[in-house]
Amino acid sequence: MFYQTPLRKVIMLAYLLICSYVAMTADYFGVEILTELLILAIIALALDLVAGFGGMVSLCHGALSGLGAYVFATLCTKLGLGAGESILITCVVTGMISWLIGLICSKSHGIYFIMATLAFGQMAYSFVFESSYLGGDNGMAGIPRLDLTPISIDLFDSTHFALFSLFCLAVSYWFISKVLSSGLGRSMVGIMYSEKRSRALGQPVTRIKANIFGLSGIILGLAGALSAQHFMFISPSLLSWTHSGEVLVVVILGGLGTLIGPIIGATAFVVLKHEISNYTDHWHLIVGIILILVVMGGAKGIYGMLESYIEQRKTKAAGPERVLSEE
Amino acid sequence: MLEVNKLSKHFGALHVTRDVSMSVAKGERRVILGPNGAGKTTLFNQLVGEYAPDSGSIKINNEDVTTWSVAKRANFGLSRSYQQNTLFDGLTVAENLGLAASVKANKSTTLWRDSLTSPDVRALVKETAAQVDLTPHLNARVSDVAYGIRRQLEVGIALATQPRVLLMDEPTSGVGPEMIGAFHQLLKRLPEDLTIVIIEHDMGLAFDVADSMTVLNYGEVVFEGSPDEAGQSKLLQEIYLGTFEDA
Repeated sequence: MFYQTPLRKVIMLAYLLICSYVAMTADYFGVEILTELLILAIIALALDLVAGFGGMVSLCHGALSGLGAYVFATLCTKLGLGAGESILITCVVTGMISWLIGLICSKSHGIYFIMATLAFGQMAYSFVFESSYLGGDNGMAGIPRLDLTPISIDLFDSTHFALFSLFCLAVSYWFISKVLSSGLGRSMVGIMYSEKRSRALGQPVTRIKANIFGLSGIILGLAGALSAQHFMFISPSLLSWTHSGEVLVVVILGGLGTLIGPIIGATAFVVLKHEISNYTDHWHLIVGIILILVVMGGAKGIYGMLESYIEQRKTKAAGPERVLSEE
Repeated sequence: MLEVNKLSKHFGALHVTRDVSMSVAKGERRVILGPNGAGKTTLFNQLVGEYAPDSGSIKINNEDVTTWSVAKRANFGLSRSYQQNTLFDGLTVAENLGLAASVKANKSTTLWRDSLTSPDVRALVKETAAQVDLTPHLNARVSDVAYGIRRQLEVGIALATQPRVLLMDEPTSGVGPEMIGAFHQLLKRLPEDLTIVIIEHDMGLAFDVADSMTVLNYGEVVFEGSPDEAGQSKLLQEIYLGTFEDA
């Protein structure tokens, strides 16, 4: 069950401060990498909501965020809508598509659920790839960024855009933690542990799963809109299943079902990718080895390991007498 | 309160329940007896909607619920406990009871408000925990508590929805004599207007709590009557102890 513990609060606050500092002091490439990891962290948060707290391991979350990018780009460049209203519409549309996918896939479990979501992701990829209206494999260019100049924020400035992405990450974290602390979120966790019992208690299991998937889709819409604005160009590779796989790796690396973990995982993943690729093209190999070590270390992820370490320290500090009395 | 009429279910050539009928009045304690494989749990699975019957009907409070989903029946006031613990293992005892109580309090699908901290859910959790003697274990993780406590929680979750009809599938399965005594007390403490149907193998407990008994054998009702009549039934003795020829 999710609780906003002091450790989570401290880490999130520290993370926001460090990222703000990096955004304001790093060079252009550093800021671009920061923006890239922040967008990936938002997608990972959305995946952790369904996979970590609902047991719905989705292999279409990358595709759904890519779809969000295409919805945003279409609204701005084809239909001439402003970026602000396009972000809102994108969130709603992606949320609705996700809800529908969640509704259909919620009848399946385990490997079948993964395959069903993969199939939806591939369908979206094929549709975008073959659509001449959406630019096919050439993608879409000339995507505008949100105009916040009335409040003295210039999103064409990479620092401002990175800070805006950080703000979106904070909003996403707050939104998802609110969902997880709600009746709906609590019920979702219950369903993850025992769907049979939840049903026997009278919970509308299918509706709860679909609603959580839909809410996750809203966050994916935001991430997609940010992604489109970041590069001001999008291509079907955004919807590739490898993108969804990458997000899953990020969540496991950081800590599945911890919410703060995926943010740490996204940071570690992007930083490792860029640092290791300075020395070798085989950065996937190194990340793969690290992932195997994390999984073999109890599958708790980086945050999970940190949490366990702190718990152990606390127990040690409490001394054997207190431990025995607690027992 | 609960009317079962000619309920039949077969899996292939095997008839697990055959024309099972029974009528349980409000507040009645009905014990279902029968040897292993008699169809008792399958009957429960049909009553709650986990299995669709091949024929027959089920009425609760004069409402035909035969085609209703599991969740709809549960919301109408039918609750069950399982023979094998079906708990939310990674959560605490309080969270387990809270998830059940939040359904009763109509807070299980609310957005933005925490169902587990809502005053009515907390009050229901406290009340149920006291009812099933779980108050000292509320903060313990289910995976860390003893088997007997889990059996109590199994019943507690079913009770936290404040049902009209409670189906208990072998609540004392796998527990020691001391725990059976505790369950005995627990059953005595339950509200008098709650209709209870229990599958039970412990004869002492069964005969003590039952207002009436139904005996199933090979999926058929072979006896229905009071505990006194059941105690004197030769048929029941044959089913449980076998005939002289069998020996």
